[in-house]
Amino acid sequence: MLYRETGQFKTDYAADQQLFPIRQDRIAIAVLIAVAFVAVPIAALTPGLRAVIDFNYWFNGVLIPFLIFSLAALGLNILTGYAGLLSLGTAAFMAVGAFAAYNFELRVPGIPMLLSFVLAGCVAAVVGIVFGLPSLRIRGFYLAVATLAAQFFVVWALTKFAWFSNYSTSGVITAQKIVVFGLAVDTPVKRYLLVLAIVSVMALAAKNLVRSAVGRAWMAVRDMDVAAEVVGIPIMKTKLLAFAISSFYCGVAGALYAFAYLGTVEPAGFELELSFRILFMVIIGGAGSILGSFLGAAFIVLLPIFLDLSANGVEHSFGLALPSGLVSNLTLIIFGALIVFFLAVEPLGLARLWQIGKEKLRLWPFPH
Amino acid sequence: MQFFFEVLIGGLLAGVMYSLVALGFVLIFKASGVFNFAQGAMVFFAALTTVGFASMGVPFWLAVALALAVMVALAFATERVVLRPLVNQPQITLFMATIGLSFFIEGIAQLAWGANVRALDLGIADEPIEWLMDRTGMNVSKFDLVASGIAAGLVAVLAVFFNKTRTGRALRAVADDHQAALSVGISLQKIWVIVWMTAGFVALVTGLLWGARNGVQFALTFLALKALPVLILGGLDSVAGAIVAGLIFGASEKLAEVYLGPYVGGGIESWFPYVLALGFLLVRPEGLFGERRIDRV
Amino acid sequence: MTALLEVDDVSLAFGGVVALQGVSFDVREHEVRAIIGPNGAGKSSMLNVINGVYHPQRGTVAFKGRKRRRVDPHDAAAQGIARTFQNIALFRGMSVLDNLMTGRNLKMKRGVFAQALYVGAARREELEHREKVEAIIDFLEIQHVRKTPVGRLPYGLQKRVELGRALAAEPELLLLDEPMAGMNVEEKQDMSRFILDVNDQMGTTVVLIEHDMGVVMDLSDRVVVLDYGRKIADGTPDEVRRDQRVIDAYLGVTH
Repeated sequence: MLYRETGQFKTDYAADQQLFPIRQDRIAIAVLIAVAFVAVPIAALTPGLRAVIDFNYWFNGVLIPFLIFSLAALGLNILTGYAGLLSLGTAAFMAVGAFAAYNFELRVPGIPMLLSFVLAGCVAAVVGIVFGLPSLRIRGFYLAVATLAAQFFVVWALTKFAWFSNYSTSGVITAQKIVVFGLAVDTPVKRYLLVLAIVSVMALAAKNLVRSAVGRAWMAVRDMDVAAEVVGIPIMKTKLLAFAISSFYCGVAGALYAFAYLGTVEPAGFELELSFRILFMVIIGGAGSILGSFLGAAFIVLLPIFLDLSANGVEHSFGLALPSGLVSNLTLIIFGALIVFFLAVEPLGLARLWQIGKEKLRLWPFPH
Repeated sequence: MQFFFEVLIGGLLAGVMYSLVALGFVLIFKASGVFNFAQGAMVFFAALTTVGFASMGVPFWLAVALALAVMVALAFATERVVLRPLVNQPQITLFMATIGLSFFIEGIAQLAWGANVRALDLGIADEPIEWLMDRTGMNVSKFDLVASGIAAGLVAVLAVFFNKTRTGRALRAVADDHQAALSVGISLQKIWVIVWMTAGFVALVTGLLWGARNGVQFALTFLALKALPVLILGGLDSVAGAIVAGLIFGASEKLAEVYLGPYVGGGIESWFPYVLALGFLLVRPEGLFGERRIDRV
Repeated sequence: MTALLEVDDVSLAFGGVVALQGVSFDVREHEVRAIIGPNGAGKSSMLNVINGVYHPQRGTVAFKGRKRRRVDPHDAAAQGIARTFQNIALFRGMSVLDNLMTGRNLKMKRGVFAQALYVGAARREELEHREKVEAIIDFLEIQHVRKTPVGRLPYGLQKRVELGRALAAEPELLLLDEPMAGMNVEEKQDMSRFILDVNDQMGTTVVLIEHDMGVVMDLSDRVVVLDYGRKIADGTPDEVRRDQRVIDAYLGVTH
C-alpha cells in the first residue's frame, strides 16, 4: 500500500516531465540526499560512532571510489549505452583527465582547483573527439578497435613524453593537495563531500541531457542511424558530441581518481583492464540508464570487498588457509559469469531489475 | 644482405605463429559471426592444463589428450551457456559476452592450476639449424621452423575443411545468417559445438607452440589483442587473409624492430598495429581478403 | 497548380542490377500521388532517391524548384520531406512519445549546455514541442501507448507511430512506403482516414507506394506505374486502370 499513485494527477506536461513524477520517489530522493550530504558526514564526526566504525576505510575504500567510478561509468554509459558506440578506451580518457589536471595545477599558478578539473575534462573531451572521428565511417565491433588504439596510444604517450609527468621516472605523478575556495580538502570527510557534490551535479546534468533532444538524438543513432538521418538528426555532430561529453565525464572522473582517491598515479594504472572494469559496470548496472551507472559501480566496487570479507570469515571460522589469489580469481569468475548472464537474461542490467521491482511494489500487496 | 634475410625469415616464421592465433578467431567468426575475445584465454587455459597434468606426472601425450578433452568440454559448455541464450543478438552483444567469457576462463584456469609461469618443453630446441648456418651463415631457429611447419599444416587442413566439405559449407551458412541456416535444417547447436571444438584444438596447438617459446603465462591471454590488427588487415572471415596478414605483420614487426627501432625508441609496437588497422578500417573495412557487405535500406 | 516535386530522367543501378531507368514524373502541391507496380519494379528505390538515401547515377530531382542530383537525407528532411519505411524504421529502444519527439529534432534549437541545465528556454522548448507532438498523438489515437517502448507494440500500431514521427516534422512532402502492408481491413480504413485527413486538413502533399488497388483508387489523385524500373503509365486512377500496358505488367505478359 506504500507505493501508490492514487490522487497524484498531472495536469500539465511540465508535471509529467518532472524527474520524479511520483511523490513517493521525491520523498525517497530527498531522504537519500539528506543522508548522503548531511547524515553521513555528521556521523563520521561523532566520536562515539568513530570508535565503532572505521569511517576512514569506508570513505577512502568504498564511498569515494564508488562515486568516482560511477562518474566514469556515467561517461561510458553516455557513449556506449545511449549512443551505442562501444568504447574500450575509457581508462585512457580518465588518464588524460588526471594528467591534464595535474599539469594545469603545476603550470598555471593560482588556478582554482575546480577550474583545473573542468579544463581537464575539456582536454579529455578534445582527445575524445579526435579518437571518435573514425566512428563516422566505422561502427559496432570495429569501432571498439579504434578505441583500443586510443587506449594504447594514450598510455604510451603519457609514459614516453616525460613532460606530462614533469620528468619523473616511469611517469608517476603525485597529485597536488586539493584546495577549494581557500579551504583545504584534506580529510576523508571533506574529500567525500567534494566528490559527492561534483558527481551529483554532473549526474543531474547527464539526466537532463538524456531526456532532452540531444539524448533522443543519441538513442536514435544507436537504434537505427539511417532512420535518424532521414528524420534530420545530424549523425556526425551527434556522434562526436557523444564522444566529447563522455570523455569530459571520464576526464573529470580521472582527475578525481588522481586527486581525491589515489593521490599518486601513473599511466600504467590506466590500462585496458580498467576500461574493462568500467565496461562491466555499464553492462551489469544497465546500459542506457543513469541509475544503472551507479548500481553497476556499486556492485563492482563492493563485490571484491564482500568476497574478501567472506574469505576472511571462512578462514577464521573453519581455521582453513585458503589459497592466495582465491579472491581475485573468484572475482574474475563471478564478473565473467555475470556479464554473460546479464547480456543473455537482462540486457538492461540491474537498472531494469530495479524498475521491475518498483513496478511490483506499486501493486504490493497484490500480485498483479 | 644476409642479415636482412635472416631477420626476414625469422619474421615470417613468427608471422606463421600470428597466423595460427588469427586462425582461431577466423574459425569462430566464420561460423558464428562473433569475434571471440576469449580465444586468448582459451590458449592460456589449454596450455596451462597440459602443463598442469604433465607436472602431476602424467605422460606428455596423455596430458595433451586430456587437455584436448577439457577443451571439448569447454566447447559444449560455451555453446549451451553462452551461445544458445544469445542467438541472433547483435554482434556487439556477443563480443561483450566473449569478454565476460575470457575473464571467466582466466579465473578458472588460475584457480585450477595456479598463477605461476610454467615452462613447456616440446623437445625441439631453440637452436640454429646447423646445415643452414654452415652453408649461408644465417641464424634460423629449428624451433621456429618446426612450429611454422605445424602451423602451416594445420592451416592447410582447416582451409580444405572449410571450402571442400559439407560441414564447412554449413559453417559458412551459419556465419552468414543464423535464422536462414536454421530454416534449411542446419543444426546451429551441432555446428557451434564443432566450431568451438576446432577452435579449442587450434587454441591447444597455439598454446603449446607459444608456451614452449615464451613460457605459459598469463600474458598469453592478451593474444586476442595481438591478433586483432592481423585480423582486420586480413579480413575477419578469411582463412587466406589470416595467413597473409599474419606473415605481413610478423615480418614487418621484426624488420621494424631491427631497422627502425633505434630511431623511434621502444614501445610503439603497443599501439602502432592498431593505428595501422584503424587506417585500414577507414579505407578498406573488409580487409585484404574479406567479403564486402552491401546493406539494403 | 505548381509542381512541388519533379523527377527528371532518373536512373539508378546497384552494381549490375538496374533499379530505375529514365523515370520522369511530377507531383503537384496538395495532391496524393500513388506509385504502383509489380514487386521489384523500383518503387522503394524511387522514394529513396527522392529523399536522398540513394543517389542516382543520372537524372535530377527538383523539390520546390531546387534541382539536385545528390541530396543528403538530412538536407531532404530540413527542406520539408518526411517518410516512412516499408520495414518500419522506428527507434525500438525509445517510447512512442520519444520517437515522435525525434521527429521534431530539426525544430529544436537550444544548445547542449542549455539542455543540460533544463531550465528556462530549454525547458520551455521541450514543453512546447511536447504539446505539438501530443496533438499528433491525439490525431492518430495512440494516447494509450505513448510511454510504451516502441519495440513492444503490435505491428499495426508501430506503423501508426512511424506515420506520427513523419508528421511530427510538419513536412510539406510525405513519402509513405507501403503504409498499409500487413494490416487488416479495419486498420487499413483507419490508416486511409489518417492519410486523407493529413492531406485535407494539413495540406500535406503525399506520395505513397501501395499494393492494395482499392486503397490506391480511393485515395489517390494521380498514379505512376513502374515496371522493371521504367515508367509505363501516368495519370488518374481510372486512366491507369484501363491502360493495357499496366494490365499486362500485372498479369505477367512477357515484353
